[in-house]
Amino acid sequence: MASVTVIAFAFAAVLNERAGSYGIGIWELLAWSMATIASTGVGLLLATRRRTNPIGWLLLANGAIIATMGLAESYADYAILANPGALPGASWGVLFGQRAWPLLFAAITAIAWIFPDGRLPSPRWRPYAIAGAASYAILLLVSLLAAERFEEPFVGQSSPLPELPESVVAIPFMISGLGALATLFGGALAMRTRLKRSAGIERLQFRWLAYAAALIPAAVATCLIEIEISGNDGSATTVALVVALTAVPIAIGVAVMRYRLYEIDRLINRTLVYAGLTAGLAAAFAAVSLGLGLAIGSGSTLPTAVATLIVALLFGPLRARMQLLVDRRFNRARYEGLRMVEGFLADLRAGRAAPEQVGAVLAGALGDSELELLFSLPDGTEVDTNGRVVESAAGDGRARTPVRRGELPLAAVVHDEALGQRPDLLESVIGAAGLAIEIARLRVEVRRQLAEVEESRERIVTAGYEERRRLERDLHDGAQQRLVSIGLALRHLQGQLPAETEQAEILDSTVGEVSRAIAELRELARGVRPAGLDDGLATALQALASRSRLRIKVEATGERFEERFETAAYFVASEALANAAKHANASHVAVTARRHNGGLVVSVRDDGVGGAAPSPGSGLAGISDRVAALGGSVTVASPTGKGTLVTAEFPCG
Amino acid sequence: MRVVIAEDQALLREGLGRLFRDAGHEVTDAVADADRLRAAISAREPDLAVVDVRMPPPFSDEGIRAARWIRDAHPSVGVLVLSQHVEAAGAVGLVSQGGFGYLLKDRVLDVADFLEAAERVAKGGSALDPQVVASLVGGDSDDALRALTKREKEVLSLMAEGLTNNAIARRLVLTERTVEGHVRSVLMKLDLPENADAHRRVLAVIAYLRAVEATG
Repeated sequence: MASVTVIAFAFAAVLNERAGSYGIGIWELLAWSMATIASTGVGLLLATRRRTNPIGWLLLANGAIIATMGLAESYADYAILANPGALPGASWGVLFGQRAWPLLFAAITAIAWIFPDGRLPSPRWRPYAIAGAASYAILLLVSLLAAERFEEPFVGQSSPLPELPESVVAIPFMISGLGALATLFGGALAMRTRLKRSAGIERLQFRWLAYAAALIPAAVATCLIEIEISGNDGSATTVALVVALTAVPIAIGVAVMRYRLYEIDRLINRTLVYAGLTAGLAAAFAAVSLGLGLAIGSGSTLPTAVATLIVALLFGPLRARMQLLVDRRFNRARYEGLRMVEGFLADLRAGRAAPEQVGAVLAGALGDSELELLFSLPDGTEVDTNGRVVESAAGDGRARTPVRRGELPLAAVVHDEALGQRPDLLESVIGAAGLAIEIARLRVEVRRQLAEVEESRERIVTAGYEERRRLERDLHDGAQQRLVSIGLALRHLQGQLPAETEQAEILDSTVGEVSRAIAELRELARGVRPAGLDDGLATALQALASRSRLRIKVEATGERFEERFETAAYFVASEALANAAKHANASHVAVTARRHNGGLVVSVRDDGVGGAAPSPGSGLAGISDRVAALGGSVTVASPTGKGTLVTAEFPCG
Repeated sequence: MRVVIAEDQALLREGLGRLFRDAGHEVTDAVADADRLRAAISAREPDLAVVDVRMPPPFSDEGIRAARWIRDAHPSVGVLVLSQHVEAAGAVGLVSQGGFGYLLKDRVLDVADFLEAAERVAKGGSALDPQVVASLVGGDSDDALRALTKREKEVLSLMAEGLTNNAIARRLVLTERTVEGHVRSVLMKLDLPENADAHRRVLAVIAYLRAVEATG
């Protein structure tokens, strides 16, 4: 259909050229060629990209109709007026050019009925749609067949079709004409119905159409002004008409394709700004040149130059002022929202606000107190500002707007669905807060990772203590018991032999070896984990103290704590005692274990040489790491010559 | 001597049974857990129960708890608890009542000493493992203990193990009179009244050790 249109159009243009003064003027040609191109181009795009939506095909048809009618008129102009008899079937051109006008309305009216999704507003409209289509078909038919004279300059021409007399066509003509008119109004009614119940995207689609439609009265106004000033319509009128005729199909295309649908508010906004700006600058130019012209006399180029300079100087500040004015007047919410975000960013830079507050600021700026800002982590989970994982099922009446930087999803704003109708507001406010969102997300992510690492460190240490316990059990209940059994069996054998024999002596010394192996295993197991810990920290510390060659005073509470804390506390005391014995040259040591502020505090104080410091890799440093892993801390106070105090605190017992 | 053995490891249980049978004692029952031990004690009323400290199901201190139960339900039955490790909370308290012993498992390899301790316990005496005694005495936690000579500490330990003066003399290769002198000296230094009864001596020592432990 598009190629038919193009051929028809090209042919029409050529014929028009050949028709010379009988053809239409260049401006008129430009106007209807623009209308054809816009209609066909958008129609082609929609028909290929949105095959199921008939609007594309209707636009294509519209383009073809305009082109064909243009061809018909040019054909008649050339074949009858400019070069009579040069081409056959000139009367068809006349007939089509003058009588096929119902087609011009048909496609446009049909589009009005099914805009924007290609369907009727409801099934109830179907019979009326069929009646409307029939009306147009009959109107076209009777228009073509009516026995009526052609208009100038083809009054003498006769129709190539059979002509029906006035008495036959009058009534069908009237009825179908009224039907076609009603269908035209029906289209308007359908649009109004759809507009009233539209929301979200559909409303935006209508806004696009409305924006383009508003250009038509603007074009009419331009036309009137031009006629008023210059006495006839000329280039200004044509330009305005071309813009209006082109804008409507393009707006339909944007609406149906949903391409940059959300730009409509910005477009309206910009139009208002630049229209205001143009008016303001024109007024300034006129006032200055007129004023100066009166002052220094006309004919000088000076007033024009000064006025141009002033306009150029005014452009920047006036544009900003106009934007502000338009925003304040027509987009108060965006204006206030952006101001709030700017204020927050200033506070952020000055250190008066934390990046995590960005969610609350967005809630204020967008006027949605239930707004949630969810940060997207690299592993695909979403967390709130406190790092808690949120199962993000946007609830009823809530919508999500993703925040991205390039391909990387930063966050999602879960907001009131109604805000979806203000995409300009959402986009600009979220965009302005983008940097703060990204900083907040990074901080949340780091905090979360730190918490995870701390948790895993604690698990590892606890698992280590568990492993020690298991090892100790295995040594005691496995290897050690087995050795005792072996020893017993050997003793039994020995009992069977006469005493004083060499075999009996060998067996005896072997049993002695087994005994020593058992004793060594017992020491090994105690080093892994003292069994006394099963009976509590106090028992284990007593046993620890009793094995030391130092004089140790133990003051330990009989209270029980979680096993991992007791175990860690035991090893702190064990390490500190070992240090006191090995390095501190101490003689007296006091070991205490008590509950303090709900936690467990273990301290070991010796009277040695002091000067101890837990260097990396030392036993005490390793112990400190494990205590820290459990959320506790180890402090070492060791002034030279004044002994050493090692204290370990655990937050909870 | 009629003996009931409770030990969850089959090999060790058999070895222990053979040990007692080789020495001419009667092993009436050899069981694997605390419930069967109670049943066997109630049924047989033996002279001695040899009990593993850890038994299924929870493997913690079933032996000690079974010992307490026997002490209450069948006071005439001596209880010898065998343990894998020195730490023995709860055992010390039972020793002070007599008819109770607490020995490390590998003591069974010193057959003669072990059987002697077992018979002592069966007769209502005491037996505390030398290592346990050492851990209680070795803490140097009090000046009074520090005042003892090395020989006196040895004697005190053997007293704590439940040995008589005669047995101590044999163990240390001393004359009984010398041992008596050491015992008097120890009891004097620890400020304990002298008493001829062997068990009362142990009682006294243990009471003292517990006091030491309690004050830390």
